[in-house]
Amino acid sequence: MAFEWGRLKAAGVAEEAGVNVRVRHRGRVGVAGTTAVAETTGVATDDVGAPLLDRALASAALGEELDLAFPAQAPLPGVATFFDRAADASLDDLIGIGRSLLEQLEREGCRVNVTIEREAAETRVANTAGAAGAYRSTAIGVSAELWRIAGDDVLAIGDTYEGADLPSDDALAALVRSVNLRLEHALRVVAPPEGALPVIFTPLGLSALMLPVTQALSGKAVLQGISPLAARVGEPVFDGRFSLTDDPLLVGRAASRPLDDECVHSRTTCLVERGVVQQFIYDLETATRARTHSTGHGQRSVFGKPVPGYTNIVLGDAGRGTRDGGDDLGGGLLRDVKDGLLVDELIGVGQGNVIGGAFSHPVALAYRVERGTISGRVKDAAVAGNAYDLWKRVGDFGNDGRWAGARYTASVLLDGVSVARR
Amino acid sequence: MIDRLTAALGRSRADYTEIRVERSWSTAVTFRGPRLESATASEDQGGFVRALTAGGGWGVASFTSLDRLEAMVARAVELSRAVRVTPPIRLADVAPHRAEAILDLDGDVRGVPIAEKKRLLEAYNGELLAVSDRVVDTLASYRDEVSDYWYVNSEGSALHELRPEVTLSGTAVARRDGTIEKGLESIGLRRGWSSVQDKAVGFREAAERAVQLLDAPMVTGGAYPVILDPELAGVFIHEAFGHLSEADFVYENPQAREMMTLGRRFGKPGLNVGDNGAAPGLRGTLPFDDEGTPTQDTPLIKEGILVGRLHSRETAATMGERATGNARAISFRHPPIVRMTNTYIANGRGSFEDLIRDVKLGVYACGAFGGQTLLENFSFTAAYGRMIRDGQLAELVKDVVLAGNLFQTLDRIDHIAGDFRWNQMGGGCGKGGQAPLPVTEGAPHVRIEEALVGGDVPSGSAT
Repeated sequence: MAFEWGRLKAAGVAEEAGVNVRVRHRGRVGVAGTTAVAETTGVATDDVGAPLLDRALASAALGEELDLAFPAQAPLPGVATFFDRAADASLDDLIGIGRSLLEQLEREGCRVNVTIEREAAETRVANTAGAAGAYRSTAIGVSAELWRIAGDDVLAIGDTYEGADLPSDDALAALVRSVNLRLEHALRVVAPPEGALPVIFTPLGLSALMLPVTQALSGKAVLQGISPLAARVGEPVFDGRFSLTDDPLLVGRAASRPLDDECVHSRTTCLVERGVVQQFIYDLETATRARTHSTGHGQRSVFGKPVPGYTNIVLGDAGRGTRDGGDDLGGGLLRDVKDGLLVDELIGVGQGNVIGGAFSHPVALAYRVERGTISGRVKDAAVAGNAYDLWKRVGDFGNDGRWAGARYTASVLLDGVSVARR
Repeated sequence: MIDRLTAALGRSRADYTEIRVERSWSTAVTFRGPRLESATASEDQGGFVRALTAGGGWGVASFTSLDRLEAMVARAVELSRAVRVTPPIRLADVAPHRAEAILDLDGDVRGVPIAEKKRLLEAYNGELLAVSDRVVDTLASYRDEVSDYWYVNSEGSALHELRPEVTLSGTAVARRDGTIEKGLESIGLRRGWSSVQDKAVGFREAAERAVQLLDAPMVTGGAYPVILDPELAGVFIHEAFGHLSEADFVYENPQAREMMTLGRRFGKPGLNVGDNGAAPGLRGTLPFDDEGTPTQDTPLIKEGILVGRLHSRETAATMGERATGNARAISFRHPPIVRMTNTYIANGRGSFEDLIRDVKLGVYACGAFGGQTLLENFSFTAAYGRMIRDGQLAELVKDVVLAGNLFQTLDRIDHIAGDFRWNQMGGGCGKGGQAPLPVTEGAPHVRIEEALVGGDVPSGSAT
């Protein structure tokens, strides 16, 4: 439901059921999907099944030859994905969470938007090689955004909780603390520094550094010839403290599941270990083309074919830093910075040639750090660099490991990031 | 269908109820390099109910199984009652309409075999690859849709529309050693099969641009007079100003309202901006919005002064203004929210040459690879640029990134040419999880007396 600008405004429900079919016929593969399915059983009704298969066959007739093999049945790992508390929460329970957040966040001159979503789903996958699996899942998303507009200065600070179960009191308290802390530091505006400087990227602000890496570690990019990491398996490409894992078996995360959307069982995938590239993620099709095995990362929606996708991404060593920085921003990394930035959000991440690693973005929410403390918020600044170069030498990891969506990282201190005034 | 929906409405116990049902057929074909990536045909259908009860908030329900219609109407009413709202939600008056709008399908795509659609895209994709050996990768995409749409509300509106849409795009990736450059062609039309024939030239030019950019230098970062081509000027006005005009940003936020007070000066006289949901033949055009309000041409800035905003019935009622027909939902899965339709900078005077004649050193920025606005800041990547030296177009440059404060930048528009055109591009607008919504932008060439250009940083980057 939605609390808009401080008022509960809307409550809604959505019901959706769909079937996606992939066929292999005469060596070619095709796909079709439909939402015209019987609500209770999720089975395509009789007058829908045949046309669905026809469309899948028509799609296959156009495809390239692909020796796609469907996996046989394998034992599935047990991972709890359905939480009764989340599924049974009433509208009033969910409204209560929203109201509590509003009460804790609202303040003079500010307005707050809160949305809460609860999803309960059932997924079933099966193939003609005899594999089948099904699981129920719940997912809860809570987002809060505080707006402060003073003249032409617009500040929006938000955070989210995402998980398979209802948020604990601690989780909600952490959300409130995150917004309040960043707001307090943002009230004073200072001039940005300039030059090649140390920059602390918070877990929320790390996207520009993470996106090139996760794109480059996809088997699909490797096959397309656009991954800078394609020929680097076994090589130390990153700092020795940088480890990256994709883990669909973590309890309590909304992206966890016992098998992927192609009946391949889930397993933890180590992508980078202590700086050395280990492997890429694959689904059945990309694995077939690359003459390797699926890593269990096939993802598909009702419409469209499966493609490789990540589940829960964990940046290793994250949150296990030994720093003692109290509860301030930066996970204890502030005191190492004489003059630099703390970046929480950038504008335009995801645009341009991301996989190449070069990025240049104006800051949306960033702070100047001087002599180990935050002196104020900076506007009109931009940070730039090359993600692969920067990840080669990490200054340090913070002790504030947390989930930002489906990604777990701590704050990271990187040296030599270009900071410019705009 | 209208009868069935009207009957379901009749059983609703809410003060206001509306129901939207859509059934759509779509095809998507994608080529990646020389390979067909996928070719699929889909059918989708579902409905959406919104209800308002006395003292209650919005109760909303969406579903994919039409058997659930009556149950979901009841559920929406229940949800509305469960949400107590003070003061109550009000809706601006809109006269009910009954209409049937069967748009020209322009060659019904549902009758064209998927193999033929694949052949069409394969030919266009081939144009990209054939330009040069340096074109190492392409992404070509064709998508069509025909959508059968029904809308009824408890005030007596009943609408039925049959709408086509087709989008075609091609990205060419050129590479020489470690340098990678892209060229993009993108077309989006509210039309059908006939309108996507004979598009080879645009694809070829996109690939040629990518190859040329390989040899082009990066623009030197700095402050320059900048001329935006109509495509980039359109994207700019949409991103930098259009979203601020959406009344749901201001209607219940007093500080935002102050920032967007009607009568405030946003630019020099000569700057005229509007949003026209009724402009014939454009992708963002529909006869009514998704609340049954007729669309219209809404002036937003007149001679530099803020004169209007874009409304839903709710935002209009709250602000004491009239509904403008801008409440749109991307599909039955979503509620209508305030969105743009066809947003434009109106025609000015003079030619492109008039704009560059007295520029000693400047940048001509063309095409848009993407843009983002966050609060009062924006950032766009132009597809390419050309330096302007002593009043003439000079060398091709790349990595032209424009970023800045949108109030300042709007205020610095000092010359608008008389060569207006609509950009019929694919892609779409994203907001509130509803993307890509079909919209268009239009503009003439526009000059900004000074803007910050360039992503490269003078002090050197980390290596």
